[in-house]
Amino acid sequence: MTQVLLPRALDELWDFLEEDPNTAVYSGGTDLLVNLRGGRINPSRLACLERIEEIRGVRDAGAAVFIGAATTHTHLLENSLVSSEFPVLTKAIRVLASPAIRNMGTIGGNIVNASPAGDTLPPLYALDAEVEIVSRKEAKRMPVSDFIVGPGRVRLGANEIVKGVWIRKAPEFNVRHFEKVGLRKSQACAVASLAAALSLSEGGKIERARLAWGSVGPTVVRSAEVEEALLGRELEIQMLAEVARLVERAVSPIDDVRASAQYRRIVAGRLLLRLAESGCKN
Amino acid sequence: MGEVRRHKRHSEGALHIGASTPRADAYAKVTGAEKFAADYYSSDMVWAGVKRGAAPHGVIKGIFTDEACKAPGVIAVLTHRDIRGSNRQGVVRKDQPVLADKKVRHCGDAVALVLAEDRETLLRALDLIRLDLEALPGVFDVEEALKDGAPLVHEDNAGGNTLLEAHIQTGDGLTAFERCDEVIEGRFETPWQEHAYLETEVGWAQQQNDGKVVIVASTQTPFRDRAEVAEAIGLDLEQVRVIAPYTGGAFGGKDGITVQTLLALAALHSNGRPVKMWWEREESFIAGTKRHPTRLYYRLGAKGDGVLHALAARLYFDTGPYDHLGGVVMTLALEHAGGAYRIPHALLDAWCVYTNNPIGGAFRAFGVTQVTAAMEQMMDMLAARLDMDPLELRLKNALTRGEKTCVGVTLTGSTGLVECLERVERHPLRTERYAWKAAAGPFKRRGVGIAALMHAAGYGTVVPDYANAKIELTPEGKIRIYCGVVDMGQGNASANAQIAGSILNQNMDSMELVLPDTDRTLPSGSASASRCTYTFGNALIGAAEILKNRILQKAADLLMAPSTDDLTLAPGKVVNRATGAQIPLSRLGRLMAESERTAISHFRAPVAKDRLDVTDELRLHGLGHAVISYGAHLAAVEVDEITGAVEVVSYLSATDCGRALNPQIYEQQIHGGICQGLGFALFEDFRVEQGTVKSPDLATYIIPTAPDTPNMESLPVELHEPTGPFGLKGVGEIATNGPAPAVANALADACGIRMFRLPMTPERVLLALRGRETR
Amino acid sequence: MKIDFRLNGAAIQVDCAADRRVIDLLREDLGLTGAKESCGAGECGSCAILVDGEGKLSCLMLAAQLEGREITTVEGLASEGRLHPLQEAFVEKGAVQCGFCTPGAVMASLDLLRRNPNPARAEIREGLAGNLCRCTGYQKIIDAVEAASKIMQRRERP
Ligand SMILES: Cc1cc2nc3c(=O)[nH]c(=O)nc-3n(C[C@H](O)[C@H](O)[C@H](O)COP(=O)(O)OP(=O)(O)OC[C@H]3O[C@@H](n4cnc5c(N)ncnc54)[C@H](O)[C@@H]3O)c2cc1C
Ligand code: FES
Ligand code: FES
Repeated sequence: MTQVLLPRALDELWDFLEEDPNTAVYSGGTDLLVNLRGGRINPSRLACLERIEEIRGVRDAGAAVFIGAATTHTHLLENSLVSSEFPVLTKAIRVLASPAIRNMGTIGGNIVNASPAGDTLPPLYALDAEVEIVSRKEAKRMPVSDFIVGPGRVRLGANEIVKGVWIRKAPEFNVRHFEKVGLRKSQACAVASLAAALSLSEGGKIERARLAWGSVGPTVVRSAEVEEALLGRELEIQMLAEVARLVERAVSPIDDVRASAQYRRIVAGRLLLRLAESGCKN
Repeated sequence: MGEVRRHKRHSEGALHIGASTPRADAYAKVTGAEKFAADYYSSDMVWAGVKRGAAPHGVIKGIFTDEACKAPGVIAVLTHRDIRGSNRQGVVRKDQPVLADKKVRHCGDAVALVLAEDRETLLRALDLIRLDLEALPGVFDVEEALKDGAPLVHEDNAGGNTLLEAHIQTGDGLTAFERCDEVIEGRFETPWQEHAYLETEVGWAQQQNDGKVVIVASTQTPFRDRAEVAEAIGLDLEQVRVIAPYTGGAFGGKDGITVQTLLALAALHSNGRPVKMWWEREESFIAGTKRHPTRLYYRLGAKGDGVLHALAARLYFDTGPYDHLGGVVMTLALEHAGGAYRIPHALLDAWCVYTNNPIGGAFRAFGVTQVTAAMEQMMDMLAARLDMDPLELRLKNALTRGEKTCVGVTLTGSTGLVECLERVERHPLRTERYAWKAAAGPFKRRGVGIAALMHAAGYGTVVPDYANAKIELTPEGKIRIYCGVVDMGQGNASANAQIAGSILNQNMDSMELVLPDTDRTLPSGSASASRCTYTFGNALIGAAEILKNRILQKAADLLMAPSTDDLTLAPGKVVNRATGAQIPLSRLGRLMAESERTAISHFRAPVAKDRLDVTDELRLHGLGHAVISYGAHLAAVEVDEITGAVEVVSYLSATDCGRALNPQIYEQQIHGGICQGLGFALFEDFRVEQGTVKSPDLATYIIPTAPDTPNMESLPVELHEPTGPFGLKGVGEIATNGPAPAVANALADACGIRMFRLPMTPERVLLALRGRETR
Repeated sequence: MKIDFRLNGAAIQVDCAADRRVIDLLREDLGLTGAKESCGAGECGSCAILVDGEGKLSCLMLAAQLEGREITTVEGLASEGRLHPLQEAFVEKGAVQCGFCTPGAVMASLDLLRRNPNPARAEIREGLAGNLCRCTGYQKIIDAVEAASKIMQRRERP
């Protein structure tokens, strides 16, 4: 039998973590308990974070927004600050798993799980989000792209947890797009995904571009080359098809049971074409 | 255990045929009260589980169980050495060990059985068992398996790796192609399809003090199971009782033994304690049967005006290491290989082949799904070549009553293919298709495709397809039906209540159902082959009529009526129309002797009368059916050019179902079949590499969810079937056959690509689209 | 470990391993076999229950997490032999075939209707995206939820 702890405050959590360093934390358990069942992990104790108020909820901090790690996806979907400031994140969460999993799973769990297919990650990369890491002694922040180092691998020390993410408001982006390609319409693991935040000028020229792809590399892929290639151009199909070629070179997908590397590579590029629709509307 | 199912609510009038009466089982299921096999627990219960070989092919050198035996909480660890019977099971050919003895032949083969106090202990003990397997080269491809020198799955099988082969020639066979103006060829591949019922294989068993073993299992075949269990582990038939509650889905995957024998064996070693076994999803995927994967070579020849002239087909079925129902599945596929068309000349060859892959078995529509996927694409390819409308081509060649199929079976029953096609032809989804297609949005292409279907019901010519219905007026005045055929979710138990209720003029509150139980109900065959309501319903009509006469006679005696002429049954009573006198059924029930208030009737289904020029073996495997349903399907799809994803936007089906006894249940069957067919067409790709399952769970084996499923319209074409109960024909399977070809044809219509391999995943579609662009 | 919570309206205390899965606690220890297990891994939705009114998967929750919560299982919906309107609609509309997915689908529908009392058909489909059904093709389940939403709204309004 594994002990299950229910700390109600971070201070209580630190005590637990120091008592036994092999204590694993979890929030929704939608990754951790699946891994436990599959025998892939073997912690001596579990600490559930779902009742620690300090790491739950969404806070408006002026220029940025703080999202507590233990905030559920459903909570984020229903949060108007998130949907007005970061529609690309809302769009991603809308197609993440299923309603029940969204009621349980959290953004912190999605980040720390660090799956290349984690659906909140491409938006968080595209939004240049920062992860706040806390321990009893200190709190620090680092870009999500530094925090995640590989599939399932993050920069998290012993007795540290993720407190939440900070996302700077970026009203200058007027095209916010997310698309996930899976093997079915819902409850599908991403085979490839694209999050995009663009600012288009009055005349329809791209002034800023941030794009991030999921499931086409060990971590989310951003490409300076691709983003630069878009600047000053208009969102039309011919141009996007050209840039798609660059995307195919920028990504490094693998074959797995869901799709071949070849398909992921092609689709990663082709997903850009959908932006032409936003171009038309603008 | 084996309780009687009673039904609350719906006290409105008497049941009648043709009404969409809500199902009798729905109330208990929607409140969580219904007890499935999975829901049997008891205090003092033992958990049993299986150690599997986990290698596709190997000689068993040793099975080391000492450590597991010694683990605290372990009650027993059993191997083939603990089995007193034949240690073999199988429906047709008994080639599957209960616990592997000499070899393992696929990754799911059971090698040892563990009994433990709880599930955690069980899992730990299974890990402690060590197997010494000497790996053998495996065989994983049907055509490779037939070559000389291929590794043999069963060294003692006379046919090598051939389980069953068949060759049928009609007319002039191949030479007829010389007289064709157009000849189309295609090579098709269809994958395994996993049943993915929500209730995985599960059961509960206990040995009683008198030695009898009682098994409650999620099964389609309690009577056949009893015989198989008894023989395999060395018990007398009378020492085994199988009880079959409603299953949580079966679709053919529980047509035969899953947990039953293992459970009975465990019950012999648990000191009288009840035993439960419940396969986890991953275990169900590895050890359970699947729809046979096939490779199908087709050649279809026609005259310039579109009249079909010749068909040649070579069909390969991968049955894995065991027959299960492989030979029978292949034979039914063979019978349907040319569809419901007039084709005077044919040469059909088929092989059902042993490999070291997962076990192929029964799956809703039993091989017909695979050949229909091929044949109905051939028809569209031919239509394209002839520049003909695909629906017109089908109408031109559609069989009508009295004509022969290309294997020589005469269609003697109601034959409604033409009517089904005409219903589709007139529907707005077809008549307005050009406008709909033209309205596709950016990066979308739209297409509309059709498929014509036939599906035969029952066991075929040799194996008797019969049912024995028993019905009782209880002393409480209720009508109790002893259901001989399992209700695996398709609603036949409710249909039984509706049939008997309508004859006896009773409402649902008066009906009681005893679900199949080898001690209480009568043998009536399997819940399969679209036969459940057809065969049992016919028997039940007989029994209900007998009971009705007895009730009226008794009432006449008691009411001192000169005859039964003025008497009539009404809900809960008998009424004398002439005098107004009444007598409650409860009173009659008390006054009638048990033998009087119980009636039994037997029905045996008709078989095809044709004298086909085929082997006895093929006849034994079922060739030649008499009762056939027909259908026409239409799929309207939208293809995304960016991702290759195919969305089915609308789906239409017209089905010649004979009479729909309960239109709601009819629709349920059609919807369910279409959805499974769409899964087969678009998503379901059970992946196996070198005998190892690569899609071991529901995260990797993709079945349709609610948003993936289109709105479905299911038109009944009610052509009376003279041999059916109230004119009914079975429709449990037919709908499964339509989606793969209809969607493939729609995809071709949308963007000019044809998929010869299922499922049509976004990846395959996108790559095909790119291939076409570069060509 | 002793755990206090409310189950289908009544206070209850259980004494079980803290890491016992809630599905096992319900089915094996408390005899509530309405919630089903079909995958144990969050993929199928047949184990769904309500926790403080929200739909959650009992195969991915540990007993300790129940402390202080209000749990509703499918057994807790009908009162005095009267079905909940949603259950009623499932029966009437033919949304039940084998019925193994039914309890989970009913619980997921309750979660949906609480958040969105008047969902469009496409929204109902999305709301049930985590509930696999192998029998119905979903259409009659959608019909049932749509019908129930109308009835429930009428009852809400005075
Ligand atoms: C059926 C199913 C479908 C799914 N579909 C999707 C999908 O479509 N898209 C998708 O992105 N994901 C999907 N997931 C994965 C999962 O639901 C998400 O990753 C979810 O966000 C995880 O959150 P959680 O709170 O449940 O994580 P948990 O399981 O609680 O934790 C996950 C990991 O993060 C660690 N952790 C959690 N919180 C913290 C913290 N605050 N600080 C430090 N470490 C922490 C845990 O130790 C664990 O290693 C699916 C899962 C299932 C079971
Ligand atoms: S059993 Fe919980 S989601 Fe499948
Ligand atoms: S009714 Fe059988 S799984 Fe839904």
